[in-house]
Amino acid sequence: MKILKYTLKKFIRMIILIVAVTISSFFLVTASPIDPVQSYVESGVAVSSEQREEIADYWGLNDTKTERFKSWFTKAIKGDMGQSLIYRRPVLSVIGEKFKASLVLMAMAWIISGVLGFTLGMVMGIFNGKPVDKIIKSVCIFLSSTPSFWLGMVFLIVFSVKLAWFPIGLSVPIGVSSEEVTIFQRMHHAILPALTLGFASFSNIALHTRVKIKEIMDSDYVLFAKARGESFLNIINRHIIRNAIIPAITLQFASISEIFGGSVLAEQVFSYTGLGQATVEAGIRGDIPLLLGIAIISSIFVFFGNFIADILYNTLDPRIRIGGIENE
Amino acid sequence: MGRLKFTLAGVLAITILITGCGKGENEKNQQIARNKDEIVMAIGSEPEGGFDPCTGWGRYGSPLFQSTLVKTDKDMNIVNDIATNYTVSEDNTVWVFDIRDDAYFTDGEKVTADDVVFTFNTAKNSGSIVDLTSMASVWAIDEDTVKFTLSYPQSAFIYTVAGTGIVPEHLYSESYGENPVGSGPYVLKQWDKGQQIILEANENYYGDIPNIKKVTILFMTEDSAFVATKSGQLDLAITTSNYADTNIDGMKAVSLKSIDNRGITLPVLPDSGEKTKDGYKIGNNVTSDVAVRRALSYGIDRNALVDSVLNGYGTPAYIECDGMPWGSENAFVEYDVEKAKKILEDAGWVDTNGDGIREKNGLNCEFKLFYNAGDSVRQALSVAVSQEAEELGIKIVLEGASWDIIDKEMYSSAVLMGWGAQNPLETYLLYHSDNVAKDYYNPESYTSDVVDYYINSAMMENDTEKANELWKKVQWDGSTGVSTEGDCPWVWLVNVDHIYYIRDGLDIGEQKIHPHGHAWPIVSNLEDWKWE
Repeated sequence: MKILKYTLKKFIRMIILIVAVTISSFFLVTASPIDPVQSYVESGVAVSSEQREEIADYWGLNDTKTERFKSWFTKAIKGDMGQSLIYRRPVLSVIGEKFKASLVLMAMAWIISGVLGFTLGMVMGIFNGKPVDKIIKSVCIFLSSTPSFWLGMVFLIVFSVKLAWFPIGLSVPIGVSSEEVTIFQRMHHAILPALTLGFASFSNIALHTRVKIKEIMDSDYVLFAKARGESFLNIINRHIIRNAIIPAITLQFASISEIFGGSVLAEQVFSYTGLGQATVEAGIRGDIPLLLGIAIISSIFVFFGNFIADILYNTLDPRIRIGGIENE
Repeated sequence: MGRLKFTLAGVLAITILITGCGKGENEKNQQIARNKDEIVMAIGSEPEGGFDPCTGWGRYGSPLFQSTLVKTDKDMNIVNDIATNYTVSEDNTVWVFDIRDDAYFTDGEKVTADDVVFTFNTAKNSGSIVDLTSMASVWAIDEDTVKFTLSYPQSAFIYTVAGTGIVPEHLYSESYGENPVGSGPYVLKQWDKGQQIILEANENYYGDIPNIKKVTILFMTEDSAFVATKSGQLDLAITTSNYADTNIDGMKAVSLKSIDNRGITLPVLPDSGEKTKDGYKIGNNVTSDVAVRRALSYGIDRNALVDSVLNGYGTPAYIECDGMPWGSENAFVEYDVEKAKKILEDAGWVDTNGDGIREKNGLNCEFKLFYNAGDSVRQALSVAVSQEAEELGIKIVLEGASWDIIDKEMYSSAVLMGWGAQNPLETYLLYHSDNVAKDYYNPESYTSDVVDYYINSAMMENDTEKANELWKKVQWDGSTGVSTEGDCPWVWLVNVDHIYYIRDGLDIGEQKIHPHGHAWPIVSNLEDWKWE
C-alpha cells in the first residue's frame, strides 16, 4: 500500500516536472535569436522574401508566442506532438526511430561504465596508495578530463583504421540491405561507440567508489573483521561490496543523464544515428515541436532512472524503507 | 570475486567473438569496394526532410530518383529531360511544356501531365524552400501538355522548373519523402536514417541506363569521412582543404570548381539617421563612397587569398556567378595597389596626420567588417582583407559575431557573406531595388535604375540566350553596372573549391560548376559515372 502511494506521489511530481520542462524549453527556444526560417533555408538556393514569408506562415511562426504554445499544448495533451519542421514528419515517429537506435548504445555504455567503474573503484579502494591504485587513478582522471568525441576519434583511428577490428562507424554495415543485417553485425557496430561512451563516463563512478571503499577499509568494523580473522574475500563480500553498492547505484542511475548527453558527441563521431544528434539539430535550427518532444521523452527517461534507483535501495538495503523516503 | 571472474571472462569471450566477426566483415567491405559496378561514398549531410522534390529535395544537383521537365547540362544550359519541347509566350508569363510519352515511374505507371500539375501545386503549397511565388496556375491541356501561367514575367522560372522533380500523384502521401518513387535514373532501395542510403540503377529509365548499378551514400561528418577514407572503405568522400594534403593510398584529392563564393557587402548609403522597419541603423559614411569600395576591389590580391586562406583550393571571384552562362567576363579586376591608392587620393582620402589611415573632411577611412565567428574560413578571409586594406590606408575593424548580431548590423556595416546559386534569380535578389534592406540579399541598400532595368528586361526575356546577355549587363554594360568599375556594392573575393577524395579509376564525368552547397551537387550527373 505504502509503495503504491509512494509511486503515485512520484508520478504526480513527474507530471509537474514535465509541464515545467516544456514551458521553460518553449520559452527559452523562442527567446533565442535563431531564425527558424533562415536556418531552414540556408544559402545556395535562391529564395525570395515572399517565399520566406510563406514558410513562416506555413509553420505558424507569425502567431504570438503564447498562441503558439497554447495550440501546441492542447494538441500535445491529446497525444499529438506535432510535425517536426526539419524532418517534416510527426515528432513521435522521429523520436521513436532515433530512440531505438540510441537505447541500445546507451544501455551498452551504461553497463560498461557501471561494471568497469565499480570494479576499478573497488580495486583502487582496496589497494589504496599502492601502485595499482595510482595507475588506475591517473587513468581515471585522464579519462574524466577527456572529451568523448576525442576519445572516439582515437578509438576509431586505432581500432578501426589501424587494427581494422571494428567498422568505421554507422550502426549497420555499409551497403547491405536491412534483411541481411545480422544481430552480430549490429552488436559489432555498437561496440566501439558504446566503449567510447562507457569509457568517457566510468571514471566518475570509479573515483567515487574508490573514496567510499577507502572509508570502509579504514572503518572500525573492517578492522574488527580483520581481527576476527575473517578472510580477505569474506571482508570484501560481506562488508565492502554491501556498503559501497548503494552510493555506486545512485551514481550509476544518475549517470543516465550524463550518458544521454555524452551520446550526442559519440553519435557524431561514429555517424551513429540517434536522439543526441536529433536534439542538437532541433536546438540549432529552431525546430520547436521536435525539441519539446525530445525534452519530454528525455525527462521521463531520466525520471525513471532515478525512480528505479529509489526502489532498488529498498531491496538492497533493508534499513532504507519506502516509508522513510516518504517522510523526507 | 567468483562472479567478477565470470564477468571478466564473459567480456573477454565476447570481445574475441566480435573481433573474429570483425575481420570477416572487413574483408567483405573490401570486396564491395572492388566490385566494378558499385560505389560507396560519403558526401555530407542527410536531407532530413527526405527525398521529396515538393519540399526541396534535388534543388541543387539532380533529384536522382525523379526526373525533371528540363535540366541543366554541364555548362548550365537548359536541355530537355521529360519535356520534349517548350514554348514561352511573348510576355514571358505563359509557359507550355510537351512531355515525352515513354517515361514511366518505377511502379510501372506512366508519367502524365497530371503528375506534373500535381507536383507543382503540391510544391507551391508546401511552405518549403521551393520558391514558386511567381507561379499563378498550372494545368494539363491534355495527357502530355502542361501549361503554366506566371503572375509576373520571370525568365528564371525555367531554373526553378529544372530543380523540381516530378512525383507520382497516385503514390504521393505525407511520407513520400521516405519512399520516393519516381522516373529518375536511380531507385532508392533503402534508407537507414541518419546513416546511409542505398541506390540502385533504374533499369527501365528512358535515358541512358547508369553504369554504376549500386550506390551507397553514407552520411558522415567530414572528420569521420576522413577516417573512413583512410580505412579504405570509401570510393569518394567529401573533404576540406585542411585534410586534402594528406596522401591516401589509391585515392586522390580532386578539387572541383564552384561559385560557392565569399564576398563583402558594403553599405552604399551614407548614415542619414534612417532605420529599417525593425529599427536597425542604415548606412555608413565611409563605405558609401564608391571610391572606397572600388579601391578595395582593386587593392585586394584575390589570388593571394586563394593561396593563403584556401591552400590554393579556390579561384578569385569578381562577381557572384563567375563562369555561369549569365556571368559577365567584363567584371574581371586586375590586382593593382597603386591604382587603388590613386582612386582614394583622387576622391580626397589622404593621410594627413601620418597615422597610416586616410581621412577626408576629418572622417577616418575606417569601418567595421562582420563575419560569422563560427566559420574559420570566413574569419581567415576577413583577417587577410583587413591586412591588405591597411596597406591602402583603410582601417577595417573586424568583428566576429553570430548571425543574429550580424542581422542587426549588416545595414550599416560591411559583412562577409557567401552566395552561389545556379540560378540567375540570385542576381535579381542581390541587386534589385525590390530587395533593399530585406534579408541578407541586399543589406547594402543598393539601388540603380539602370540595373533594375536590365534585371527586369532579363526577367521578361523569353529567349535564354538573350536573357543571359541582359543578366551580363547587370554586371557591366560598358558604362555602369554592379561590378568594380560600376557601383561596386559588393567586393567579391574568392570562390571556394569543393574538394573530394576520389578513388583512382573512378570517373565522375564532367561536373557542372558547383553551387554554394558542398555535397549533393557532385552526384547531379551520377548516371554518367563509371569505373575505368
